Amino acid sequence: MITKEIREEVHNCIKCGLCLTPCPVYKQLCFEGASPRGKVQLIKNVLEGKLEPSENFHRLLFTCLLCETCTANCPSGLKVDRLMKAMRAELLEKFGLPWKKKMLFNLLVSDRLLPFFLFWGRTLGPSLLSLLPKDGKIGTIPYAKLPRLNRKALRAQYPEIIPAPDPKGRVLYFTGCATNYLFEGVGRAVIHVLQRLGVEVIIPRGQVCCGLPIFLAGARKMALKNIRKNLELFNRDDVDAVIVDCATCGAALKKEYTHILEEMGESPEGAKALGRKVLDISQYLARFDLGKLLRPVAARVTYHDPCHLLRSQGVKEEPRNLLRRIPGVQFVEMAGADVCCGGGGTFQWEHPDVASGISGKKVQSIKETGAGIVASGCPGCRLQICGNLGEDAIETLHPLELVARALP
Amino acid sequence: MLNPDVLKKFSSIVGPERLKTSKEDLLTYAYDAYVLEYLPDAVLFPKSPEEVSQIMKVASAHKISITPRGAGSGLGGCALAKNGGVILCFTMMNRILEINTANRYAAVEPGVVISEFQKEVEKLNLFYPPDPGSATVATMGGAVLMNAGGMRGVKYGVTRDYLLGLEIVLPSGEVMKTGGLTPKDVTGYDLTRLICGSEGTLALVTRITVRLLPKPKSRRTLQAIYNRIDDAGNTVAKIIEAGIIPATLELMDKSIIKALEDSAHLGLPLDAEAVLLIDVDGDLETVEKQATLVADFCKSLGARDVRVSQSEKENEQLWVARRSAFGAVARMRPTCVIEDVTVPVSYLTAAIKKVIEISERNRVQIAVLAHAGDGNLHPLVLCDQRDKEEMERVEKAMDEIVDYAMSVGGTLSGEHGIGIAKAKYLPKQLSGTSLAMMRAIKKTFDPQGILNPGSFLEYAA
Repeated sequence: MITKEIREEVHNCIKCGLCLTPCPVYKQLCFEGASPRGKVQLIKNVLEGKLEPSENFHRLLFTCLLCETCTANCPSGLKVDRLMKAMRAELLEKFGLPWKKKMLFNLLVSDRLLPFFLFWGRTLGPSLLSLLPKDGKIGTIPYAKLPRLNRKALRAQYPEIIPAPDPKGRVLYFTGCATNYLFEGVGRAVIHVLQRLGVEVIIPRGQVCCGLPIFLAGARKMALKNIRKNLELFNRDDVDAVIVDCATCGAALKKEYTHILEEMGESPEGAKALGRKVLDISQYLARFDLGKLLRPVAARVTYHDPCHLLRSQGVKEEPRNLLRRIPGVQFVEMAGADVCCGGGGTFQWEHPDVASGISGKKVQSIKETGAGIVASGCPGCRLQICGNLGEDAIETLHPLELVARALP
Repeated sequence: MLNPDVLKKFSSIVGPERLKTSKEDLLTYAYDAYVLEYLPDAVLFPKSPEEVSQIMKVASAHKISITPRGAGSGLGGCALAKNGGVILCFTMMNRILEINTANRYAAVEPGVVISEFQKEVEKLNLFYPPDPGSATVATMGGAVLMNAGGMRGVKYGVTRDYLLGLEIVLPSGEVMKTGGLTPKDVTGYDLTRLICGSEGTLALVTRITVRLLPKPKSRRTLQAIYNRIDDAGNTVAKIIEAGIIPATLELMDKSIIKALEDSAHLGLPLDAEAVLLIDVDGDLETVEKQATLVADFCKSLGARDVRVSQSEKENEQLWVARRSAFGAVARMRPTCVIEDVTVPVSYLTAAIKKVIEISERNRVQIAVLAHAGDGNLHPLVLCDQRDKEEMERVEKAMDEIVDYAMSVGGTLSGEHGIGIAKAKYLPKQLSGTSLAMMRAIKKTFDPQGILNPGSFLEYAA
């Protein structure tokens, strides 16, 4: 059931169309059904019983990055993304999940399957990859550009508690799947920087996937177990903050859990309490004076705003300030830094043509800056940007990885 | 419903991808930014003048109604298929064809978004001034057919003033050129400016050539806050009388101020009756001289607070209030109808006060923005279209606002157009002779009446 508050949104759309051009998907496809206004109006028709939720409607509903640009631009303050998410959940029963997503999500909700896959992926991955066609792609990302799996899951590389001698702070670290299994460099950088600052880091054992890819595809019930588990592990009063290095996990923990529980008629109090504690690592580091500690790193660096950090969490300046503070770093803004990279989680998988058009523009903006490094605190953006940069030698990094380089 | 043979013909012209007939697609082309909705039978997305021409040949052979559409941000239902038929949507025909710096003109396809075009020419230090509120989404083709205006109208005029020439497709499918490349051109009737503002009833536009200006070297923004709206009105009159032509001259009334403070907390005083936002632009020296002069006028005529920006960054800071105004108001109620009656500029304050009086008497919530420099009011009428009784009061308030504008020599619509929203008022402004003349022109272009049927000329008595 879509809640009354969310249903009412369809009547607040004044159809002005100001969401059209800012929408990266509409800009590629140029027809109304692909635009936020079009989708809101179709949802209105469905809710009023004037349109059957057809296959075509379902397809349009998923022709959306959920980048929240429309929500940010709507003069009437419509929560377009929440309407879209609720409608996706509403349609799950009728349309189910495509088999690829079902496989992926089953992997993400299981605490046994993932490590199993990690082991075999790591062992057999290279030989399996060599069997695949050389120019093959997943969505828009060439196989060759896929990151290697971590040798060992990040969480298995550290003890649960990494103590600090006279602690300047104490945090719970939600590592997320990407850092745990794919980008161990990010996790190591986070832990290293926090250790250098004298912060005690606790990595709760038993933490599970934040569930965002699952519930954004509409499978809210499937994600519920993960939500509950994480709430149970991270709702603690004895820490300064719960930190995340992934924009998407941050968005999930900060606000999506609350929305989902509320809309499913469950008590959102635990999620709200957690939401108040969660900080992106760049936000947490803003509390410290890094200036004296940092050594020069000579690099021209640009920054890409992840949708889930900028629009979902409102974090814009903190990551930039981190980069600017590193001596030797020449920071250059790219044109349209706040425009979605076209990844959109599984979007680029399902709509490679649309995604590559959007990513093409992003890559062009990056190249125009002349930067050697593009930093972004989201593994999804990182995969998408790296995968679309072609042969260019531009490095894609998490801002913390660069901070760690400056903090030997 | 369209005959399947006709659909097949359309499909063979644009291909199946650019012919849309699913219920979902039709529903999303049933609306624009106006309140009423009409379902089309098909939506076609041409990409070239040849395709448009072929489509029109089929349409005229089978007497199919064709309604042109850009981004669908219009406020009067002009781009809706009032009698069904085909929506011809130009959003996929969106290339900038040429920017000629030597002769300062540019040629674009109709689907180019106005602000994107502006960004491109500004990179070359050129300037395309018309800037309707919807410039970030509206298309150049839509702007031509609607003769779109905007905030810079007071100094720079409207779309009409920048057109050099058009390539048009007649309902018969014939392709024709109007105008040319030169700003001076008195060869024959000025058909370019006849098509401009014709609301898509005469011909389709497939190529637009506009003249460009050099980009102004500098700009200063002034913000003046008034306790009494009359003082703001007197300041506008004084600026105009002194021979200064500001680039923009915007007014926000007390309801707008309240809405802004409720949502954005910009620190505007709630007991103020009006805020003026004034831009002067040009050479640095002139701009500074004019900014000082305008600031003096504001102070001497009773402004309680005057701010003058010192940089482009400060310009933008002062503009935040005006840019946020529409959103701040629009979110107060589900429906927001944007009016645009326009009066001779000396009646501006009287007109605003009249609108406020009408709003209170009819118990209709109205906030007033105005392009004060050219007497163009934007009463934002807040309501809920699901509430029949309220909508009747809205209608009555609108009637009274229109009657007032007529009584002082104003116009029904300054920049949004007539469409279906204001068709019923047309005879209040246009004489029978004038309407008959317009209908004769329509007949010459479109003898079968297949182009945008159900629009203003047919509605009017």
